[in-house]
Amino acid sequence: MIELKNVTKQYPGQPHPAVDSLTLTVPEGEICVLVGPSGCGKSTTLRMINRMIEPSAGSITINGQSVMNNDPDHLRMGIGYVIQQIGLLPHRTIAENIAIVPRLYKWPKEKIVRRVDELLVMMGLDPEKTRSKYPSQLSGGQMQRVGVARAMAVDPPIMLMDEPFGAVDPIARTHLQDEFLRLQKEIRKTIVFVTHDINEAIKMGDKIAIFGEGKLVQFGTPEEVLTNPANEFVENFIGYDRIVKKLFLYQVQEAYRPAVCRLRPEEIGNALSKMLAEKAEVAFVLNEADKPCGYLTREELEQEETARDADGLQKLAARRSKAFVQTTTPLPDALSVMLEYDAEYVGVLKNGLLEGVMSFKDIRRHVYRREGE
Amino acid sequence: MDINLVDFFQRNTRTIMEYTENHFTLVLSAVVISLLIWVPIGLLLTKSDKWAARIMALANTIFCIPSLSLFAIMVTIPALGLGRKSALLALVLYAMMPLIRNVYDGVKNVDRNVIEAAKGMGMSSGRIMREIQLPLGLPVIFAGFRITVVMTTGIAAIATYIGERNLGRFIQEGLVRSNTSMIIMGALIISVIAIALDTILGGIEKLVIPKGLRARR
Ligand SMILES: Nc1ncnc2c1ncn2[C@@H]1O[C@H](COP(=O)(O)OP(=O)(O)OP(=O)(O)O)[C@@H](O)[C@H]1O
Ligand SMILES: [Mg+2]
Repeated sequence: MIELKNVTKQYPGQPHPAVDSLTLTVPEGEICVLVGPSGCGKSTTLRMINRMIEPSAGSITINGQSVMNNDPDHLRMGIGYVIQQIGLLPHRTIAENIAIVPRLYKWPKEKIVRRVDELLVMMGLDPEKTRSKYPSQLSGGQMQRVGVARAMAVDPPIMLMDEPFGAVDPIARTHLQDEFLRLQKEIRKTIVFVTHDINEAIKMGDKIAIFGEGKLVQFGTPEEVLTNPANEFVENFIGYDRIVKKLFLYQVQEAYRPAVCRLRPEEIGNALSKMLAEKAEVAFVLNEADKPCGYLTREELEQEETARDADGLQKLAARRSKAFVQTTTPLPDALSVMLEYDAEYVGVLKNGLLEGVMSFKDIRRHVYRREGE
Repeated sequence: MDINLVDFFQRNTRTIMEYTENHFTLVLSAVVISLLIWVPIGLLLTKSDKWAARIMALANTIFCIPSLSLFAIMVTIPALGLGRKSALLALVLYAMMPLIRNVYDGVKNVDRNVIEAAKGMGMSSGRIMREIQLPLGLPVIFAGFRITVVMTTGIAAIATYIGERNLGRFIQEGLVRSNTSMIIMGALIISVIAIALDTILGGIEKLVIPKGLRARR
């Protein structure tokens, strides 16, 4: 657990403090994202935790121990540190770069070699190909991975990451973020993560700390921040698409309805009566193996009943054969499926079997119910 | 005017050898002493911007004094007098500028982010100097070393006016006696030595530059 109490940093010759009596707690095993516009003191805050900068006032403790009681070099050896510019040593191989902190700890050679390979694999790099390359021979994304691997080399319980995925293109960044989140589920480090990108903050943070001009403006979970922005500054920082951003916090399993009308192949002829009996707006057509292969809506059937035979209905249903999502699909992706197939409903699958249904209305209702809380 | 270098060489081989040897030893001792003094001072200066500015200004001023005058000034210092001590001191003072400047620039221009990352991982400042700043600054430092060697070889010739018996003497005496072969012989050997040293150092430079700085995709 990292605790900052009334921490202030006044750079000499600056009119205002870069960080102004900041109080913040980062619980064990969580990612706390510091986010805010450029120059608001995020990096300064982060760098005070590992004493790259000394605070002018206030106290910083890690697990109850003041960082000032520790020798700075020793303190830093125990904290993973990743910077945006990565800072790999250009004259050292990738393996040597990752081995820096283990070498400071005087680990035996074999242990270092083993650990380096383990980290390369963990970061999705091929040890054989990467180990003895120099940084200049890697792509930006690969370098960023090495930067993260290097910070994790001695498995420090705490990591400080200053825009760790800043130097790569958006696609590579998304990929790195996803992988890192997956990894974090296993390693459960206490992480302070700096970004100026609110989307990254929402995605990566267990908690978000929004900074404005050296002051903490709002602190909370992404959902809290998106639901109740503390003031106009936060609202503007989040942007006009606040609700859309909120969608990213939810998965289909939170919004779908499990009650669903199923049509076995032989039932397709009296689809409408079955739907009326079940008071269903939509019915899913299953094949012989119980796999859903599309759906029909009541509206369609009421209009076209006379015009279509069972075969025609089968074809109509099959037009939505791809309008399905998983329970774990994020809501924005479910929404794109709806738009892509011009479908009012999507079927919700779990392990390949039909689990429920979700309509555009369900999404809206879910988001606004959360709004109201 | 009669220019016959081969003839001159054959008749004066022993003198040429003596002068060349003297020239060499003067250059060698001046360069070694300069390295021993100025490289550590250059490194120290990277720790203090204030002192770096002061010392660099001093080095620049010394560098601007014409060489003949500097040699003459040395001679007036009682403890030095005519001869090798004065010559050495003057050459070492000239080397101050290129060496200190390049050591300072080489170390200071190492990518700040690399230093930040290394420091952030808990490397001590001594270790950062040894393992990062020195190797990464080496190309620039080595360039300063090359300049110093070539420059010292040239300026050392002028020490002939304060009693050094080196290759500069051919030029000095040749001028007095209007002996063109003599002048050209002196100038030629000095140039050959300078070019040869520079070429050899150029070769060595390729070897000392860290591999990762050369490696490209
Ligand atoms: N070494 C320094 N000396 C003086 N002022 C500084 C120093 N470092 C930062 N500042 C100032 O302190 C303020 C906060 O800087 P900081 O680097 O913490 O911002 P940041 O939130 O990380 O911004 P960015 O998103 O651009 O990285 C800025 O106004 C900056 O100009
Ligand atoms: Mg910053």
